[in-house]
Amino acid sequence: MAKVLMKGNEAIGEAAIRAGCKNYFAYPITPQSEVAEYLVKRLPEEGGVFLQGESEVAVGYMIFGAAGAGERVMTTSSSPGISLMSEALSYIAAAQCPAVFVNIVRGGPGLGGILPSQGDYFQATKGGGHGDYHLLVMAPDGVQEAVEMTMLAFTLAEKYRGPVMIMGDGLIGQMMEPVEFPDDLKTEPTNKDDWATNGMDTRKSKKRNLVKSLFLDPAALNDNNLALKAKYEQMKKEEVRFELYNSDTDYQVLITSYGTMSRVCRTAIDMLKEEGIEVAMLRPKTLFPFPEKAVFDAAAKDSCKAVISIEMSMGQMVEDVERCVKGQRPVEFYGECGGDIPSPEKIIDIIKGLL
Amino acid sequence: MDFTGIVVVAGNYGSGKTETAINLAAACRKTGMAVNIADLDLVNPYFRTREARIPLEALGIKVILPDRQYHFADLPILSPAVADILRQQSDLTILDAGGDDVGVTVLAALASVLKDKSVRMLQVINVFRPFTNDVAGCIKIQQEIEASAKLHITGLVSNANLLDETTPEHIYRGYDLVQKVAAQTGLPVEFITAGQKVLPLLDMHRFSCPVLPIDRKLLPPWKRI
Repeated sequence: MAKVLMKGNEAIGEAAIRAGCKNYFAYPITPQSEVAEYLVKRLPEEGGVFLQGESEVAVGYMIFGAAGAGERVMTTSSSPGISLMSEALSYIAAAQCPAVFVNIVRGGPGLGGILPSQGDYFQATKGGGHGDYHLLVMAPDGVQEAVEMTMLAFTLAEKYRGPVMIMGDGLIGQMMEPVEFPDDLKTEPTNKDDWATNGMDTRKSKKRNLVKSLFLDPAALNDNNLALKAKYEQMKKEEVRFELYNSDTDYQVLITSYGTMSRVCRTAIDMLKEEGIEVAMLRPKTLFPFPEKAVFDAAAKDSCKAVISIEMSMGQMVEDVERCVKGQRPVEFYGECGGDIPSPEKIIDIIKGLL
Repeated sequence: MDFTGIVVVAGNYGSGKTETAINLAAACRKTGMAVNIADLDLVNPYFRTREARIPLEALGIKVILPDRQYHFADLPILSPAVADILRQQSDLTILDAGGDDVGVTVLAALASVLKDKSVRMLQVINVFRPFTNDVAGCIKIQQEIEASAKLHITGLVSNANLLDETTPEHIYRGYDLVQKVAAQTGLPVEFITAGQKVLPLLDMHRFSCPVLPIDRKLLPPWKRI
């Protein structure tokens, strides 16, 4: 297919359709409402359903219901909306149902603002909801990657039978870039008859499937948590994704950055290179599982004097970076989170301050 | 290009209305005209005229925006200053509307001010955007915009582009599409646009309308042109 010009939000909607998602439930919130606006036009053409819930709390459980029935399902929201869905996310993780959640992050806490932010890193990677669970979290740095990650999210949600999150920020959702769609991904979930409440007649079985998150028997609850933990360990082995930039040089500083912020850092690195200053960047594409070993290895390079995490937050991913660098280099932080995205010139000043 | 009076720049969501409006304002200002531009985009909270305020004002263009305190709000606030400038005499007043039919609803609120004036409304079309890649799609949006704005579209603009990846073939494809829309609707093609990079590569004999050069003002923060 030839390239088209799309907003991140629209492209995420189209990617879901191409991944075979026929069920989309959402509640509008800036800066992601274009996903709903796009899918309300496109989904009926594909025989799909868009339902606007009365709130994000309702939407979270609509997703749980459809996912439990083995349907390919997605919702999109922005920060405060994801907070409202967090209880359902915990239930869906516990009940081991595949579902795709997209968070086009806006400034917080509270109602915050409508401009881009990465302030939901903790919420996405460390919980949000209650209990011992993780989301598999991917963070695109542009519209093309948003498409690829959204399609991949459905595959991974089914592989691990759990919720997968795409964490973009307002700019990823709102900006337009030329984009090309990969071939449609329209495979049926392979093993849903084993667990989904998709109807005994449908699956021609006499066995009842039960989707639940309540385990009153302590041994059963422990077993369920162990099953979840085994999945997270498998993700750490098989799903870590990241990109290294300018890392084949004798870089003096290693930047860790993701999403929109990494685009600015890339420009700053190119500009510094023209001045003869080599800086590398490690960009996690998966925020959970985090590229732990890659961060350690990149920081360990002899030429590297310092590591700096640059984020549109007050310092969130930096905690994972510090954990992975294991004290071998100083780990610094720079962040802004009012909605203004730091300029390449600002990043250059910060980097020069480390030399 | 001969634009005077009130010109509304409309079109489907993301068709490039704002870049078109800004560059049209700049081009007309450079010919010595007194130009006003008003940001009527109450729909989309990002990439609006308000982000190009400084370069426009440097050219001597009067920019009418929502009150500063609402600059970053996603609220449907129409500045009373818009009605004021429509009443005032100026060579050219450009109204940069929001996308789709929803985006021009605001024009109905200005109906009493607009009613005795000559108003032109341009439909901006980018063939590479969803929903306007064929004649039927363009005409559908056109009808929706007209119904919602309570105004008629008077001319077409092709803003065919894939941003930095735009080639002459893309511009030609967009031009050919708007020609077909023009043939079917009877509307004139007022002009087409072309970014500074692709402009020197174009065969100008292919076009029977003016070409407005686009100097992109709404850039993501990492772009340095």
